[in-house]
Amino acid sequence: MPDTGLLLYGGAFGLILIGIAGIVLSAHLVRIIFAVALLEAGANLLLLLATWHQGAAAPIIVAGRVPDLMADPVPQALVLTAIVIGVGILALALSLALRVQRAYGTLDMHEVRRHMEQDIADEAGIDMPSSSHAPAAVQTARQESGA
Amino acid sequence: MNQLALLVALPLITAFLLPVVNRVSTLAARWLGPLVLLVTSAIGISLWSQLGDSAVAVELGGFRPPLGITLYADRLALLFALATSIGTLLLWPSRGEEWLRQSTLALILAASGSGLALSGDLFNIYVFYELVAVVSYGLIAARSSAGSFAATVRYLIVSSFGAALALTGIALVYQATGTLNLAQLSQLAPTHLNNLQGLAAFVLMLIGFGVKAELFPVNTWVPEVYATAPTRVSGLLAGVVSKLALLIIVRLLVLVFNQPEALTVMLVLGMLGVVTGELAAWRARDFNRMIAYSSIGQLGIMFIAFSIPGQAGVFAGLAVALHHLVVKPAMFLLAGRWQGSLDRLAGAARTSPLGAVLFILLALSLIGVPPLPGFWAKLLVMVNLMAQENTLYSVGAWVIMGGAALEANYLFRVASSFYHRSEQQTPPVAHRTRDLATASLLGAGLVAGAVLIMPLADEIEGVASQAANRDQYVQTVNPEALP
Repeated sequence: MPDTGLLLYGGAFGLILIGIAGIVLSAHLVRIIFAVALLEAGANLLLLLATWHQGAAAPIIVAGRVPDLMADPVPQALVLTAIVIGVGILALALSLALRVQRAYGTLDMHEVRRHMEQDIADEAGIDMPSSSHAPAAVQTARQESGA
Repeated sequence: MNQLALLVALPLITAFLLPVVNRVSTLAARWLGPLVLLVTSAIGISLWSQLGDSAVAVELGGFRPPLGITLYADRLALLFALATSIGTLLLWPSRGEEWLRQSTLALILAASGSGLALSGDLFNIYVFYELVAVVSYGLIAARSSAGSFAATVRYLIVSSFGAALALTGIALVYQATGTLNLAQLSQLAPTHLNNLQGLAAFVLMLIGFGVKAELFPVNTWVPEVYATAPTRVSGLLAGVVSKLALLIIVRLLVLVFNQPEALTVMLVLGMLGVVTGELAAWRARDFNRMIAYSSIGQLGIMFIAFSIPGQAGVFAGLAVALHHLVVKPAMFLLAGRWQGSLDRLAGAARTSPLGAVLFILLALSLIGVPPLPGFWAKLLVMVNLMAQENTLYSVGAWVIMGGAALEANYLFRVASSFYHRSEQQTPPVAHRTRDLATASLLGAGLVAGAVLIMPLADEIEGVASQAANRDQYVQTVNPEALP
């Protein structure tokens, strides 16, 4: 049987890595939001593991008897707080995703970004650069600086 | 000294009372928020005058540290708590239909921002940081346009990513030391965190808290958020909130992660921020994104300055940060009527002569033209960078000079177009009186800073020397600690 501690740490760092990979690689907004949730879960697990000991008892003193090895209650309280924050932000993120979907009809982040850049450019009254390296934009900037 | 907790508690309670008060009297609800911020500002100023060279720590709920949460106020923390109150007051959200919700959010921002500045507990800092983040999502999306929702959700993802990384860093710190109290961490750091795990924890927290401080790889949200959010909110985020995140990082550096590698990481990321920010600002073609990118560059300078070891770095960084704290919100206030394409600004000086003059004043100070305060701040950074033996610091100095040259180019390009007469198009409409008045107030502050530069510099140096004093922090929070 593999070492429990190793397994738990592996799980925590694994969740963190899956979360980061999901945020970086996914294009679908809901998947990205779930990846954030996974990342948070990994961070929470790591925080719990910070003072984890094999076979430690819950930090409750029953009938005046103090167990030999108690778990540290501080990280547990912290993680409870972090979970609550995480759930709140998850709900907010999903509701924002809903508004974005209603406005642009898509949840693909490349599309959403394109629409958003278009909106910003329209509002500002400038042409939308076709790519981030559009020569037209640079030329205009040069003309302006030369003028 | 227990009034310290009021800086956090008062706006927080008021925020949740506001909808109730609104049922009784709309007029009272409208004025309650600014009034409370006036009160907290007054409390902050009176504390400042009592504080002098000493510092105070308040144990919340009477629980002793390390289990209890401490609020710690030296002049640095108080300065930024005060800046949060006054900044929120000056940039109080405009009166739209959503004024009640906006006022509530602004009050929570003031409360959590002050908490962030004063907190002496790492996890507490994380909670306040998340609170600031959630409130700013609501403020950014206030215009309810499709673009603002998209920008908010993209910002939310970057910000949550950062917060989770910071939490991972906190977990690593707790694993190594078993405490989250900054004073206790400061005592344990030389033996427990002076290793690879400590460095990893610092880098995670640097990137995590760096999201709000517009640090180089995690600042993708900056241009789109500042382009879609109401300009007052952008001013608040760029001016005040970014400095609060920076304050956390500086505290961590001074107290806990006193390692040369940590400073080098920050120096390199700061330089990348200056280069990318200034280049992008130079290429930007609308007013909001130009000042948004320029703020990335400015915060890059602050990261470079704070990476100088010792008290000199804190002094130089603080000078640049305070300068930016005054200039950037004023810039965003001017953006209220000037947002949009830079081409539209031709002839803007005719409709808004005061606005044009203010912009030129702010631009000159941002670039660093004597005798404006921006010049002295940048000079301080340059002198201290050049004094370092490590060549990387001299590279940093050259990067800042190059950035200033680019800045001069694009800011003067805009300023000269104000005085250009264009036949085809009408110049933009004049500024709202309220925006212009607030911006003028900030501009007047800048001029006053230029006149009173010597006493001001002495004062800031005093704040910096106190902030760089680890022993005072430890002694104040935990008087029984060994010296």
